[in-house]
Amino acid sequence: MKKTGLVFFPAFDWAISPTHPEREERLLYTRDQIFEEGLMDLPQITEYKPRLATKKDVARTHFCVPNVAGQTTEAHLIAAGGALVIADALMKGEIHNGFAMVRPPGHHAMRVVHGNRGFCNINNEAIMVDYLRHKYGIKKVAIIDTDVHHGDGTQDIFYHDPDVLFISFHQDGRTLYPGSGFTNEAGGPAAYGTTLNVPLPPGTTDEGIHYVLDNLILPVLNEFQPEIIINSAGQDNHYTDPLANMKVSAQGYAQLNQKLAPDIAVLEGGYAIETALPYVNTGIILAMAGLDYSHVIEPDYNKNQLVQSPEKTERIKETVEELLAVWKQRNKIELGVLAHKSDFYQRQKTIFYDTDYIHENQVEKVRLCYDCAGYITIMSQAFHHNDRRSKVFCVAIPFNACQRCYNDAHNDYMNAVRSEAYDYVYLQNKAEDVYRIFTNVGTKKLEEF
Amino acid sequence: MYIGIDVGGTFTDAVLIDKDRVISKTKFPTVHDNLLLSLLEALDRVTDQVDNSLIERVVISTTLITNLIVQNKYEPVALVLEPGPGLNPRDYPFKEDTFIIDGAIDYRGRQIIPLDKRQLDLTISEIKKKGYRKAAIVGKFSGRNNAHEIEVGNIFNRAGIITELGHKVSGRLNFLRRAATTMLTVATRDEHVKFVDTVNKAFRDRQITAPIFILKADGGTLSLEDSKKAPVETVFSGPAASTLGAMALSPEGEDTVVMDIGGTTTDLALILSGKPVLASKGATVKGYYTSITSYAVRSVPVGGDTAVAVKGNDIDLLYERKGPAYCFGGPYPTPTDALLVLGYYSHGNVEAAKEGLVKLAEPLGCDVKTVAQKILDKFSQSITGAIEDMFLSWEQEPAYRVWELLHPTQIRPQNIIGVGGAAPGITQAVARLINCTPVIPEHAEVANAIGAAVAQPTLKATLRIDTGEGLYTVEENGNQGSVSKFSSFREEDAVRLAKEQLLKMADDLHVPVDTGSVEVTHSEVFNVIRGFTTTGRIYHVTVQTPRKILTRLYKQGGQDA
Repeated sequence: MKKTGLVFFPAFDWAISPTHPEREERLLYTRDQIFEEGLMDLPQITEYKPRLATKKDVARTHFCVPNVAGQTTEAHLIAAGGALVIADALMKGEIHNGFAMVRPPGHHAMRVVHGNRGFCNINNEAIMVDYLRHKYGIKKVAIIDTDVHHGDGTQDIFYHDPDVLFISFHQDGRTLYPGSGFTNEAGGPAAYGTTLNVPLPPGTTDEGIHYVLDNLILPVLNEFQPEIIINSAGQDNHYTDPLANMKVSAQGYAQLNQKLAPDIAVLEGGYAIETALPYVNTGIILAMAGLDYSHVIEPDYNKNQLVQSPEKTERIKETVEELLAVWKQRNKIELGVLAHKSDFYQRQKTIFYDTDYIHENQVEKVRLCYDCAGYITIMSQAFHHNDRRSKVFCVAIPFNACQRCYNDAHNDYMNAVRSEAYDYVYLQNKAEDVYRIFTNVGTKKLEEF
Repeated sequence: MYIGIDVGGTFTDAVLIDKDRVISKTKFPTVHDNLLLSLLEALDRVTDQVDNSLIERVVISTTLITNLIVQNKYEPVALVLEPGPGLNPRDYPFKEDTFIIDGAIDYRGRQIIPLDKRQLDLTISEIKKKGYRKAAIVGKFSGRNNAHEIEVGNIFNRAGIITELGHKVSGRLNFLRRAATTMLTVATRDEHVKFVDTVNKAFRDRQITAPIFILKADGGTLSLEDSKKAPVETVFSGPAASTLGAMALSPEGEDTVVMDIGGTTTDLALILSGKPVLASKGATVKGYYTSITSYAVRSVPVGGDTAVAVKGNDIDLLYERKGPAYCFGGPYPTPTDALLVLGYYSHGNVEAAKEGLVKLAEPLGCDVKTVAQKILDKFSQSITGAIEDMFLSWEQEPAYRVWELLHPTQIRPQNIIGVGGAAPGITQAVARLINCTPVIPEHAEVANAIGAAVAQPTLKATLRIDTGEGLYTVEENGNQGSVSKFSSFREEDAVRLAKEQLLKMADDLHVPVDTGSVEVTHSEVFNVIRGFTTTGRIYHVTVQTPRKILTRLYKQGGQDA
């Protein structure tokens, strides 16, 4: 019998600040519940020790400004490393699935990182996906983001990658941070339809979540046929979560994991640390281990209070219809038509870092390429609250880069270095797993690893 | 003078120690259906030349409880569990009759579901109808609040059922381990009490008035009388005895692998910075994890009597005993024969050993000494592999704090100490393979008894103090009480309360404690924040008496090989 692997890293000595929701206490009651339950003793479960992700593991996914050390504490590296430990155990065939119950979380961290957004600095799932692709040659990946907040960071990182299916359901961006994740955000031109966002009305219940799962997520997964399914497992859709307004129960979450059958789940948000997390985490672990979770019930659970209005049900159905239409049309976007207009697809973004109070402006360009995923350049300028500014230029070469993209990306990088217009210039060469930071501030220097 | 007696599965060993010297020692085959007789025989042999009034203390390690459990020699117990929300009780590992009752306590010790008295009455009549006299009553999170267990226990006792309550057995988190341990406690208590009373009488008959202690699996001691409260703590005291014995016979404060070589198995333990390593999961008894703390011991299925045969172009260990060694008239050549031929061992018939090894040497076309060396190498390799595994799994213990992960401990032993009959040759061979100093002490053959003789009581109090709930609980004995809510309670108050509880525990167990030596071994604080306000603090504090042994015999009695 292959087991369910667990990495439990509650970071009992790390917090954003003493009273911040992301603090030492967050997984304390979860620890109590799963230890008292004796889950780690069950023959179906095996516990792994996390490790620190390396600088290179982070640089494979992110452009950290000014560098990886500047954006990560050890706790971040261990949380990401915890996900890598589970990934290794899965790929070595030691486990049939696994759950990295780690903090701090990561799904709001985008490709370029100037600071902390939504409690996240680096994206644990994305780092794990890039690691799986680099080390094990995994190509097709599906990430299902079940956190109540839109997984905007993960979306950003895989927006132009047709081999990563990213589906996020979340409380509607008009009513909740980060204010994005609408149905029209469906992927870049070369990856249209492989990003699917399901904004849900506040007050959505187990019924609503499972409607989305049964009618959208599972059929799409079935068609996409990923090699690996990842649950970006936020637990803040729970009816007691203090930061959101949904009505999902521990049973709802456990059933979701049973049906979705993710290969790997990585913990994201969830801030009802007493009323939800001990029960939701126990439910997810039992479901992943194939054990009966029907006895995992919150003390105050009352089915009659968790009812969804018919109007909301109707709205959810409409959203699912709309997204199914997007999914069906995904191959109809003719790359040639777009390429005819311009060789590059360009988008401008403004990003707000709520935790660190930073405004960022970005111009992102993607080569529309027939032979590979196309290389990406990002010009990013950040305005910090203390008037500090930084301007950076980033070049990303995909794993499967064609010769033309590879050469042009290098040229763009060298031109940026020569121009002296940027504080930092980055080259992320995933094809050869080599990462460079050129520093223009003070003494010019080049770091490569 | 101190006496240590280890009533082991094969041999009963005893030593009489004066200060740091072994005055007399004995070793003879254990009489299986009469452990008491074996114990007293050993006692009489080591004391026959001394005045019994000079004996200051006696420590006994025995397999009595282990045997009772393994051989099912106990009255069946009904398991009464209050699981609350969580795993479906259907998936519990227990083979015992299990009765599930309603009610629940949560992780902060709050009642979330009250008890159902009517259901309890029905449960009692069902238990009686099935013929049970005894019940183990265990609730999830009873270590955080014992109110439900106490109430259920009272109702059961009034109905004439003999009970044990989970929180009294262990307050550490792990409901299933606690349930198994509580069941074993109530199951073995009567037999253990009988044993204790007989031992006491036998000692009185011999005019031995010294206090008598019994060794626990964690290497600590309990007075014989107090062991009645926690009989299962005495399981697996054998490996604890051999580890402590090795500790007394090896260099102080260093990292040492303990290798106890028996006839069919070799038990390994680790001493790091002079302290034995404890197992992270509780001892396994009857296939159940328990909350009994024990040393991390690994058993390798090879020993002096392991049969050896030719396989292909090489020899192979058969991982089983086919009888005694060739040199003692057995049917198969063994590592003991190899050691004898190589001059590392001095009992048995050398000629017979050579005869046995020739059977292996001929088909391989080599001489007897070469074969003997091959056997020793194979044996050493299987032990070396297990030692490496032990270190790796020790390094792989989970860590829940950033600090722990940033300070990984990668230790390889400085010494390897071999105890048991076949120790000398094998210890040297293994030491060469893992590059450390072999220690082959004098008196190694009675290391277990020495370990018992030098064992000391260790007391530990682990408190969880929740100032939000105004409640504290003690893991070790299930005590609980109230503290003033949040406002003025500080970390120093937490430590003071923990020390008070430790002293109380020492009083109950009649253990003298020097208050100055009590140290804080673990302390952490969590702010309880609701909204953006601190509404309390949760402290986890552990205080303990220093883990020491009574005396060391290394310099005096031991010697480097």
